[in-house]
Amino acid sequence: MRTRFWPIVAHVLAIIAVLPLLWIVISALKPAADVFDFGWPTTWTLDNLQYVLLKIPMPRFLLNSAIVSVTVTVIALFFHSMAAYALARLRFPGRGIIFSGIMSTLLVSLPVILVPLFLVAKQLGLLDSYAGLIVPSIFHAFGIFLLRQYYLNIPRELEEAADLDGCGYWRRYWSVILPLSRPVLASLSVLFFLANWNAFLWPLTITRNPDLRVIQLGVSGMQGQYASAWNLILAAAVIAAIPTVVVFVAGQRRLVDAMKTTGLK
Amino acid sequence: MAPPPAQLSRRTLLSAFAAVPLLSACGNSSGGDGKELSFWNFYGPSDDQGPQSKWFVAAAEEWNRNNEVKVKLRYIPGKDYLNGTTLQTAFQSGQGPDIFLISPGDFLRYYNGGVLQDLGPALSAAARADYLPGLLEARSVDGKVYGLPMEIEPLAMYYSETAFEKAGLSEADLPKTWDQTLAVAEKLTGKDRYGVMFETLPGYYQNFTWYPFLWQGDGAPIKDGKVAFDSPAAVQALKFWQDTIQHKVAPRKALGDGGGDVVSNLGSGAAAMQESGIWAVADLRAKARNVKYGVIPHPTPDGGKPATDLGGWAFVANSKGKNPEAAAKFIAWALGSTDAAGIERQRQWNTVVKTNVPPRKSVQAAADAKGAFADGALQKFVSEIAPTGKPEPRFPPEVYQPIADAIQACQLNAADPAKAAADAASRIDTFLQTYQGAPIS
Amino acid sequence: MARLQGMSRKRREALAAYAFLAPDTLGLLIFVALPMALAFGVAFFKVDGFGNYQYVGLANYRLMIGDDQLLAALKVTAIYVVTFVPIAFVVSFALAMLVRNQFRGIGWVRSAFFLPNVVSLVVVGLIWQFLLVDKRGALSKLLAPFGLGDVSFLGTPSLALGTYVLISVWFLMGYQMLVFLAGLKDVPRELEDAAAIDGAGSWQRFRYVIWPLLRPTSFFVVVNSTIGAVTGLQAFDLVFVLTKGGPARATSTVVLYIYEQAFTFNNLGYAAALTTVVVALLVLCTGLMFGLTRGGRFDED
Repeated sequence: MRTRFWPIVAHVLAIIAVLPLLWIVISALKPAADVFDFGWPTTWTLDNLQYVLLKIPMPRFLLNSAIVSVTVTVIALFFHSMAAYALARLRFPGRGIIFSGIMSTLLVSLPVILVPLFLVAKQLGLLDSYAGLIVPSIFHAFGIFLLRQYYLNIPRELEEAADLDGCGYWRRYWSVILPLSRPVLASLSVLFFLANWNAFLWPLTITRNPDLRVIQLGVSGMQGQYASAWNLILAAAVIAAIPTVVVFVAGQRRLVDAMKTTGLK
Repeated sequence: MAPPPAQLSRRTLLSAFAAVPLLSACGNSSGGDGKELSFWNFYGPSDDQGPQSKWFVAAAEEWNRNNEVKVKLRYIPGKDYLNGTTLQTAFQSGQGPDIFLISPGDFLRYYNGGVLQDLGPALSAAARADYLPGLLEARSVDGKVYGLPMEIEPLAMYYSETAFEKAGLSEADLPKTWDQTLAVAEKLTGKDRYGVMFETLPGYYQNFTWYPFLWQGDGAPIKDGKVAFDSPAAVQALKFWQDTIQHKVAPRKALGDGGGDVVSNLGSGAAAMQESGIWAVADLRAKARNVKYGVIPHPTPDGGKPATDLGGWAFVANSKGKNPEAAAKFIAWALGSTDAAGIERQRQWNTVVKTNVPPRKSVQAAADAKGAFADGALQKFVSEIAPTGKPEPRFPPEVYQPIADAIQACQLNAADPAKAAADAASRIDTFLQTYQGAPIS
Repeated sequence: MARLQGMSRKRREALAAYAFLAPDTLGLLIFVALPMALAFGVAFFKVDGFGNYQYVGLANYRLMIGDDQLLAALKVTAIYVVTFVPIAFVVSFALAMLVRNQFRGIGWVRSAFFLPNVVSLVVVGLIWQFLLVDKRGALSKLLAPFGLGDVSFLGTPSLALGTYVLISVWFLMGYQMLVFLAGLKDVPRELEDAAAIDGAGSWQRFRYVIWPLLRPTSFFVVVNSTIGAVTGLQAFDLVFVLTKGGPARATSTVVLYIYEQAFTFNNLGYAAALTTVVVALLVLCTGLMFGLTRGGRFDED
């Protein structure tokens, strides 16, 4: 009895949690006139999705988002793991200061530094380019922190074996640490991909060229242009969310394990 | 104003970073030679706005065929244009567009920022004389014209004939006074519908739609350079909007694009009466052909006079842009040409792809010749409603904000209108005492 | 090569470390520290939004003293923090306890709780606007039988902030649950079993076994969610899409106020000064939490 009760509660709560999302998907599949009808749709239609995909440059937006998110994720993971390796495993003067310095950047969030960041990006010639979408998004202390915690927990013996072989630090990082961090990198890549796919404020500020619009801008632009057509707006929202849900479902098994091994305990 | 040393050192610092080849290789800025002018607008190439977007494209193409300095359109979604960061960050960093659109509410911000180009030299005397009285003045300082209006957009009350029929009401029940409005709205309110609707989202647009009710009682935020907001007219106007919410006959949140979006609200049946502008005629024509509706002037308070607000966007040129003279020429050509082609271009904009009251007499005559304002809502707008209107005031943000706060607090938070009006007046007064920019009107 | 080998081991290790750290450190300097420093500098200027600067000393800071709007915004943010942080904490912790042990379909349940966090804030804003439309939205229809059909959740000042808190909790609970789950995995089963054998009830097991071991995780969650609540994207994107700070400024957070000052009023200098104050407050708050909890093991070695 006891053991049955809580799982049932969990299932019920889970359904409640996803209900709003489910409702949106259902509404996106209704004809325009029925979008506010409260109840199971009597007719289903793919028109909304079709319209959004064909009449609006959604594929272009999706492609841009994919390019940006994947590039940022790959470069960020690489840089972060290098930095984390140094912070976790190497001894050098100023380590404490550098680490606290990096951690303190966690207090600064984008809305607060939007204007000065824009000025910096402009000086670097990053306006209106993929580089402008990608480069400033790479650097974030959170990933460095998580990876460092993970590396702290890797047994030193593994690295020492490489040391005996006379490997330099780069080789140790490349052939010992990096392969060992595959699971945590995999799960972090899920988090990073999600964060970048969902970014809105920075792409809004840095891009002007319509060919560089990312999906979130596309969806938010829909709201202005098709204000009266909830069916189309919802269809666009669903399309924008599909890739993230797919990535999440593919990577979700690893997420908990990753959180654990990064030493967030 | 002398550039402060701090700015200098920051520049040097930044250019030092820019010298890092890895980073500077990643971007390029285009068109620095003054041969290409960027023109930012919010008429995007969607199905909804198709004809309007095409009008912009056609105008730019025609200009580009005959001129060496080319105009390049850039579309920014309305939400980002009105409330976003795009324009602001661009100007802040000296990357503003060469030509852009502004509403009256934005005029002083840009004028006082020193980025508006005098369009006078490009404008012929014939063109000046062609504009209706007051229109150019509203966009002028010291006799110099800084913006050319592309349209006049009066506000009025839309009503749904279907909703009236369903509630057993007829044309005779259309409200003429505020009290009647509340009474009729009560009858029209139902399970899925509100009787009447005003904008509820804070912003320049909400203030714009509220001013007619202030003016009806002969009120004004500022008279002769002094604050005049703490007046019976302001208090009763605040109270009227409050009553619509307190009586539960008006929504607290509009559908779609907000209070000005008639298709999403009145058109969908969510509101029976709705205050909006003349643009909604074209919107309804394009997106909700089967909606049966009519237009009436704003209901008035006891002893009040009819009034409406005349909105409308203008083209302006960036005086710090790549080629301000050419930009001014483009604007004068696109909106102010007095030849047949120029009048036709304006007629297209004001009566074919969009519905406005034309800002120029010759365009009005051309439109009348085609019967554009012969009947229905548009006739009412031109003959009955627009003549009672005043151009939208050009208040800087510091005047706009206290009024917006008063409207919001009374309408949605049951604040005491008298106190709200007094608070707003004192804030405006504080600002006026130190204000040094161009005259506020 | 010969020179490298000749170097002392210590020196080589340090050089390697700096090389490893270089890309990220440089990036953080340019794209976070420099803008922050610029914000500090700009705080002493009157900036008009068109590239004109005028040195005004501390005038921007003096302006704050009489600014009622700022006070109101600080109040909104304070209320948001003291409601959102505890509610999100309790909800996500409870969810973590709920899905800690294996049962049928646990994968789907965990995913379901995390799913809202996968969707972007832009879409989240859209979704709730749609569901909370006055009278015709799904929630109004759901509540109509109870006579609550015409409650406007986003249009009533007294309800809007609460609605915003709940949407934030819904959005972030899955993420925090995951962090708690990770922490819970390290609570040794044997310890709990031993306590159970000793006759400890579930509350006692929680209080004396699980809770002490979860303190660092809890610290991390609280700090993280406080920062997020004050300056994070949820304090901006979500409000921006949902209410624009309305109705009647009921959801005007400090970040939104700063944004307004910068982009509606073009008072970039004042906005910058506000930024520095908010960041200082945050540093103070997190420092205080750090001190009170004797640290969250950020510096274990």
